[in-house]
Amino acid sequence: MNSFEPQIIAFLCNWCSYECADSVGRAQKEYPSNLKIVRIMCSGRVDPQFILEAFQKGASGVLILGCHLGDCHYKEGNVQAMKRYIFLKELLPQFGIEKDRLRLDWVSATETEKFTMIVSTMVEDIRQMGPLVARR
Amino acid sequence: MEKPKIALYWCSSCGGCEESVLDLAEDLLDLAESVDVLFWPVAIDMKYHDVEMIPDGGITATLINGAVRMDNQEQMAKILRKKSQLIIAHGSCAHLGGVVGLANFFERRGILNRSFKEVPTVKNSEGVLPGNETKESRKELGLPHFHNTVKALDQVIEVDYYIPGCPPTPQLIKKALLAILHGGLPLKGSVLAEKKALCYFCSRKESKPDMIEIKRFKRLYEEEWDPARCFLDQGLICLGPATRGGCAERCIKANMPCRGCFGPPDKVTDQGAKTLSFLASLFKSTNEKELKRLFNSIPDPAGLFYRYGLASSILKGKMIRQ
Amino acid sequence: MKAGIFICECGPNIRDAIDINDIATFARGLDHVVFTASFNLLCSEEGQNLIERDIKKHNLSHVIIAACTPKEHENTFRKVLSKAGLNPFLLQVVNIREQCAWIIKDRVLATQKAKAMIAAAVRRVALHEPLEVKEIQCESDALVVGAGIAGMSAALTLAQKNRKVYLVERLSCIGGKAARIEKVYPHLECASCVLDPLMDEVLHHKHIEIMTFSEIQEVLGSYGNFIIKVKKKAQFVDSKSCIGCGACFEVCPVKVKNEYNEGLDKRKAIYIPYPGALPHIAVIDREHCIRFQGKECNACQDACPFGSIRYEETDQIKELKVGAIVLATGFDVFDPKRASQFGYGKIRNVYTSLEFERLLSSNGPTGGKILLKNGEPPKRIALIHCVGSRTKKHNEYCSGVCCMYSLKFSYLIKEQLPDSSIIEFYTDFCLPGRESQGFFNNLAGKEGVDFVQVKNIDSVGLTQRQDNILITYKDMHGKRKKLLFNLVVLSVALEAARDAGKLARIFGISQGKDGFFLEEHANIAPVSTSIGGIFIAGCAHGPKDIQSAVTEGQAAAGRIFSQLIPGENLFLEPITAEVNEDSCSGCKTCISLCPYKALTYDSVKKNVSVNEVLCRGCGVCVAACPSAAIKARNFTDNQIVAEIQGLLQG
Repeated sequence: MNSFEPQIIAFLCNWCSYECADSVGRAQKEYPSNLKIVRIMCSGRVDPQFILEAFQKGASGVLILGCHLGDCHYKEGNVQAMKRYIFLKELLPQFGIEKDRLRLDWVSATETEKFTMIVSTMVEDIRQMGPLVARR
Repeated sequence: MEKPKIALYWCSSCGGCEESVLDLAEDLLDLAESVDVLFWPVAIDMKYHDVEMIPDGGITATLINGAVRMDNQEQMAKILRKKSQLIIAHGSCAHLGGVVGLANFFERRGILNRSFKEVPTVKNSEGVLPGNETKESRKELGLPHFHNTVKALDQVIEVDYYIPGCPPTPQLIKKALLAILHGGLPLKGSVLAEKKALCYFCSRKESKPDMIEIKRFKRLYEEEWDPARCFLDQGLICLGPATRGGCAERCIKANMPCRGCFGPPDKVTDQGAKTLSFLASLFKSTNEKELKRLFNSIPDPAGLFYRYGLASSILKGKMIRQ
Repeated sequence: MKAGIFICECGPNIRDAIDINDIATFARGLDHVVFTASFNLLCSEEGQNLIERDIKKHNLSHVIIAACTPKEHENTFRKVLSKAGLNPFLLQVVNIREQCAWIIKDRVLATQKAKAMIAAAVRRVALHEPLEVKEIQCESDALVVGAGIAGMSAALTLAQKNRKVYLVERLSCIGGKAARIEKVYPHLECASCVLDPLMDEVLHHKHIEIMTFSEIQEVLGSYGNFIIKVKKKAQFVDSKSCIGCGACFEVCPVKVKNEYNEGLDKRKAIYIPYPGALPHIAVIDREHCIRFQGKECNACQDACPFGSIRYEETDQIKELKVGAIVLATGFDVFDPKRASQFGYGKIRNVYTSLEFERLLSSNGPTGGKILLKNGEPPKRIALIHCVGSRTKKHNEYCSGVCCMYSLKFSYLIKEQLPDSSIIEFYTDFCLPGRESQGFFNNLAGKEGVDFVQVKNIDSVGLTQRQDNILITYKDMHGKRKKLLFNLVVLSVALEAARDAGKLARIFGISQGKDGFFLEEHANIAPVSTSIGGIFIAGCAHGPKDIQSAVTEGQAAAGRIFSQLIPGENLFLEPITAEVNEDSCSGCKTCISLCPYKALTYDSVKKNVSVNEVLCRGCGVCVAACPSAAIKARNFTDNQIVAEIQGLLQG
């Protein structure tokens, strides 16, 4: 348990959140290396299957970061992401996955502090929750 | 010339798939003329030993129904794989794990405790659970061992074809058998039904508008459903868009919405996830509380989305606690 | 796959934070990786040449570049692949600078993360498919709807040798609302001096075809290839021979309210909206002409010296083929009858600002004289700001132009009636830009012009007091006050045109909650809409002044210029969605999700297809499709899952 380092898959949208992660990089702010980023064009691209695949393949947490509501580059893609996220989250406990392992938030391209806060908090919380093991 | 040899076996099964074979009705007579049924526990008495004596590859095709949850079932599946040229996963349980697969939402210990100790109608003051071996007089008796996880047939042996459905329609079974006997089977690994989702074939398709907006999910008992109109448009959950077609929409014709027993359309891995995804798009609300409430208005959403396919879904069931 | 991995050291940026040799060795050991190299600056010309050379030398089929963020150089490196003879999309860029080297101080952890990222990229790129950049032939002509100031600006900017502009105007004359104004702020220039040359140019332009008294009926097709049906309504007057002499209106027996002058005076059933209206051609109003009600009357035909009257004329439908559309359909003003406190329509001498503009106009109902209904000039005038604006009751937004034009009114009233006294009732003063404050300052010092601030325009009420108007209001301390006036002007809100909804439906564009057409993006795409090829300009896009309307008209033209080049094809962005017809069940889940209307259902084939011109590649439909029948090119399900696997399992 002490040596458990959670792996967190994060889906970042090309326009706001991926750009934000780059901004964090340019500002040379640190955040845990546990976060592994997958770039997509819109948070609305996130298929619930991706989230389940991530858990099945060893992620202990999954994060979706999109543009603020109303700012989506593609109008309402983030709204679709949010709807699927809310539904899937309610379903997770039945799969033995704590709801809090799946998180969704909105960041704009310059909210570097919010980004690092979300990531660091999540890594620590999930470290406390411990690992998940998939059924063979 | 020797007639082709057929075998049928059942794992964790309700018997519905066997009955579906019986529903071939008069065609059964033709079948009896054309094949030799070597092994069919529900109909013919045979022993384990007899099966082992069949030469490898000696069975033209074996239809196995039921999910694999016990070690004797796994064993039989493996033996039959050796003895058969073709293995057909027959019915939802063999195809996807079926309803039996829902047990994967629980742990084995919990299921055994519930069944043998906690159920109110069971008297088991000593808390005896089915064990593996026991010595009775001078013989050792054993019971099959429950696996931790219910599996679909192809998670245990290589499967050549699948006949989906809970149960499959007699037409599909007939078609499959004819193809086995006379040729015309598609690529190995195919599901012997349609590739597209039920929506494509549904007689109510024309009534489905380009945009459906659901404000709340209705329950089956709430209304008399219009037999000509798309269920989703009436506010009732129908899994047609996320379910493979080929069932001749028996349920729809009986004015009941689709429950997904044919499993996902051809390219989809996780029927439950895609069901969740398409249902989410039918809500126009963007309010978090309202969305949660809407979702929770579905009694047992996990059971609804994964009724037939849990064991072959991405997570296969509840994650294991360490 | 024969993958090559190029690792950029990026000067000290990556080199110092990550063990380059370690990751190069690691990369070389991955399945299907046949070559790895590291270099100081891959984006430099030398670096790019190195990549090109190595692709050719080692016969690489796929390329991975571990460097800075793909948002910086992905396109650069795609071009390198093209030069080397590889499809540019067989590339994956790994962000080991911004998202690795720069955010992890521990060298071991950073190297470890870089390895996972590279492993993920290898798994992903193996599933990349070559993508074609398709071209489609397109029409270079354009349609501008609305011949107001924004529409005319767009049309004049667009029209050139190889590009014809169709300018469709609903009324029988061009110029829009700006043509009804006498003077424009901030320099109080004569509006017709500013507008007339523009209108003249538009009317006589070789490459602009004006269709007045015409309406859009139907819009089909998409960006580059629109098919528009326009109804040219019958004017019943031959446009070639009519010179607008007015002999016909002299004899016409029918009088109706002149809507051009906001009903302040009357016109005949055969008319020209105002003296000097362009094109200067008469039109018969068939709703009021008695001949069209079945009665016998040839008065106008008999009087016409040129034989221009054509009673037998019919509406014509014309079909246009254009590549892009600019909607510049303008606005309507708030009807103060909706706010009974102002007594509009009941109390005499209460005017809307648009009516007042007509009173001020030399071609208006009073020839430019400010007169009360009894024919006398007023002595005490009130201008009330924010009528219908900035209130939850009507429109929450600020119309942005009323403060300035109210000040303009004060200037012009003072000029004509130097002894009058004016009070402007305001809540806040909206004076943006370089000249507005100065405009206000000049007026503020003048005698007989006062400004009274009220807390809330809702507290202002008007009542008739014999021949005068009593205004009651609450001042800033909440105290009730009253003042007497002869004439009141209500500075009414600019609202979406009454038929905006109908137009939005015909063109398939969105309206905001306020009814104005919605832009694609408030900050960076203000003149385009979410429908490719349809642009918006002027007040159709929200209340604004003339300068801004002109700017938007020219901007919309600029957008069209940059993409719709006469003689050249339209290049389609390849990263779009693609429907697999064998898998699509036609369940229609996707259709309502697309903000660009790129998905259409074919009821014969019973499936859905993607219009690649309109699709923006967001992938929302892909995630929703319960049959997994839609593919998001370059972001397919398989590619993303492979990437996830690589990140988690190496």
